[in-house]
Amino acid sequence: MGSVDLQVRPDRQALLSQETGIRGLSKGKGNETTDMALFVRTSSETLSDWNRQRIVDALLRETNIDQDTAERISREVEDQIITSKISLVTSPLVRELVDAKLIEYGLEEARKMHTRLGVPLYDVDQLILHPNRENANVPHGPEATNLTLAERIKKEYALLNVFSQEIGDAHMRGDLHLHDLGFIDRPYCSGQSLEYIKKFGLNLPNSLSMAKPAKHPEVLLAHMVKFAAALQSNFAGAIGWDAVNLFFAPYLEGLSDREVHQLAQMLIYEFSQQAVARGGQAIFTDINLYWEVPKHFENVLAIGPGGEFTGKTYAEYESQAQRFVWALFDVYREGDAVGRPFFFPKPLVHITEKFFQTPGHMDFLMHICDIAAEKGNTYFVFDRGNTAKVSECCRLSFKLEQSDLEDAKQPWRMRYCALQNVTLNLPRIAYQCGGDDTRLYAKISEVFNKAVQAHLEKKAFLERLLALGDNGPLALLTMNKDGSPYLRMHRVTNLIGMVGLNEMIQVHQGKELHESDDILKFGLKVIAYMKLLSDRMSQKYNMRFVLEQTPAESTAYRFAKLDLRDFSPRSGYVVKGDISRGEVYYSNSTYLNVGSVVNPIDRVRKEGLFHPLIEAGALTHLWLGEARPSKESLANFVIKTFRHSQNDQIAFSPEFTTCTDCGRTARGLADKCTYCGSTKIEGITRITGYFTKISSWNKGKLGELHDRFRNQRYFSENELPESRSEGEKPRLERLPKPAGLRI
Amino acid sequence: MTLFTKEGCDKCEYVKKSVDLKKLGVKVEILGPENPDSLAHLAWHELVSLAETQLPILVLDDSSSMTGAIHIKNYLTAFSKQQSAVS
Repeated sequence: MGSVDLQVRPDRQALLSQETGIRGLSKGKGNETTDMALFVRTSSETLSDWNRQRIVDALLRETNIDQDTAERISREVEDQIITSKISLVTSPLVRELVDAKLIEYGLEEARKMHTRLGVPLYDVDQLILHPNRENANVPHGPEATNLTLAERIKKEYALLNVFSQEIGDAHMRGDLHLHDLGFIDRPYCSGQSLEYIKKFGLNLPNSLSMAKPAKHPEVLLAHMVKFAAALQSNFAGAIGWDAVNLFFAPYLEGLSDREVHQLAQMLIYEFSQQAVARGGQAIFTDINLYWEVPKHFENVLAIGPGGEFTGKTYAEYESQAQRFVWALFDVYREGDAVGRPFFFPKPLVHITEKFFQTPGHMDFLMHICDIAAEKGNTYFVFDRGNTAKVSECCRLSFKLEQSDLEDAKQPWRMRYCALQNVTLNLPRIAYQCGGDDTRLYAKISEVFNKAVQAHLEKKAFLERLLALGDNGPLALLTMNKDGSPYLRMHRVTNLIGMVGLNEMIQVHQGKELHESDDILKFGLKVIAYMKLLSDRMSQKYNMRFVLEQTPAESTAYRFAKLDLRDFSPRSGYVVKGDISRGEVYYSNSTYLNVGSVVNPIDRVRKEGLFHPLIEAGALTHLWLGEARPSKESLANFVIKTFRHSQNDQIAFSPEFTTCTDCGRTARGLADKCTYCGSTKIEGITRITGYFTKISSWNKGKLGELHDRFRNQRYFSENELPESRSEGEKPRLERLPKPAGLRI
Repeated sequence: MTLFTKEGCDKCEYVKKSVDLKKLGVKVEILGPENPDSLAHLAWHELVSLAETQLPILVLDDSSSMTGAIHIKNYLTAFSKQQSAVS
């Protein structure tokens, strides 16, 4: 019956009593309810007279029950309202009463179909007054409240109407986690190339004006920012950009170094100050950067101002691309107006074999390591051999296959998407298996298959939306400017993540991953098993299922809380954090215990053993605390990691305290400002795959922050004697190999 | 020593036919969709990416590895002769 409230107008109530001889709303049976002095407050903000027929109409429209049953239920609800003498009848109440009747009659399916989605008054009050800490990238404000409220309703919708009950229940129980349910009507995240807007301009469905391809670098940047905002409205998560410095390069010819620096500054500020977009969120933006011209772009014709081919290949723009990437890191080093690190855009520098063959690479490596040490911004993405990737989000990567490399010849075609992310609660599987290997693997398969089913269900839903084309909610993703829709469904990936491998193994084997090689090997077998499952499912459904290290900013907390409730006392021995304060969490994905005293080299190597099995991206964090290692020592570490480990990506994370009184930023986390003594301070460090203010963290992440083992002394004790000159081969020490394996 | 192979790999078959692996104590691991143990073992030796393009791979007792069927065959043949000489 739509969204309606029923209200009795006091003057009509008195009249009704006189006319009918009944008190208040109470009317004897047989009276015509259409005469009732009830008003219906509808969702379209009008008052309508009470009309029982609306209940009947709604039941017939929304459920599968017959006319007689609908009539009977409507009469019974009407009687109940009348006899209850309620002075204010609201629409949710009418619906609840109808739903209660449906349950009384055993019509559970009809009740489900007739459900009203909404949020309790108390919850709305709390949301408006207090920040939501599910995502530290959402500030508190009216826009954030709108976002959260919309998300709540869409979450309910997703669990009732998109996913089957089996999958919805698995999520609610905490067997798995369906990410971004509040964004059920969009894909998960997107990676693309600037070439699309360079070639086609900014010409989006539903936009009020159309822009031709940019002729000037500032305009290209404006198009990039606006397109990113448009994409943020159509994807739940990160928006990544490939080879940004290279694709800007044709626009930079003739610009002075000062002008290039200015453009770099504009790019970083534009993305870092976008706290006016969806829900007041900054756009989670990643820019992939290269010192060299990647092999797959060397012979590609460059697009320049006006969307025209310049007649040169990208290989010929190497120096301009290098000038721009250098300038970008100059800006990162400066930080914002008070010296804080920029949170976005995240700079992902690809380290490849060609990187080491490109002149100037050591100077550039020192440069970006200087920023890594000073501000922590740099992400080092390792593309070994002939691997090529587009990276984004907290650690997600799209590994480029042969067909993608073909697309690279027309780079505007390079656009990638992960449709959804589903994460398995690994410790819960172990609680249920009593140390029995056979049961453990059977249970992994069972939950994994549910994750696959969840992907099938979401895909079917999105395909329905996409089929609506230009008139549908995802019109932007169906726009077709190059012979294919923007979102190419046949190329999407479906992510399957994991949380708490460390605790799973701890429950199953009695030790944590860092405690012995045999335990680490067992962990590898679990992930290898999942990798083979994903391969089999990909073949079975002709879809790409790939493992990902879920960032799990709130999932690691949610799973730990649910397992403390459902699997105590055993869970109490393995969840990490401080149970008494509720600051509990599981180790993220395949990570070693963040608090374990493991030197950085061992951590990078051991965690890196898992990375080749996790195709959609993995990352190792190195927590620096207040240490400020030299650029030489970090550069040496980066080279070692590239040459002697399988680690996919690393990031060094310092900590900062910024003072809101004096505006200065100091190294390390402190209780008061080291400059002025003020306690009006804000801690800043990396939460999962991005920097943010600690005050916005959820309890689980606060627990993890407390436990993190900071590598404060390691890098200062492993300094290289001096920086080497250009061309000189770096001195490398081989990382220690694990003892020979005997399986 | 461990030799990583897979079904339908001609080079793997060539090595297996050319050398008496059992006699040399070389364990054969067959990578495949039903064999997580072998994949985990491969990951432990940091050879997953290499195995995507090159098989067979021989892992020696010191955890170093070698690829190339002829290279592996020659190494194992020499090793066999060395063993015979010692005994």
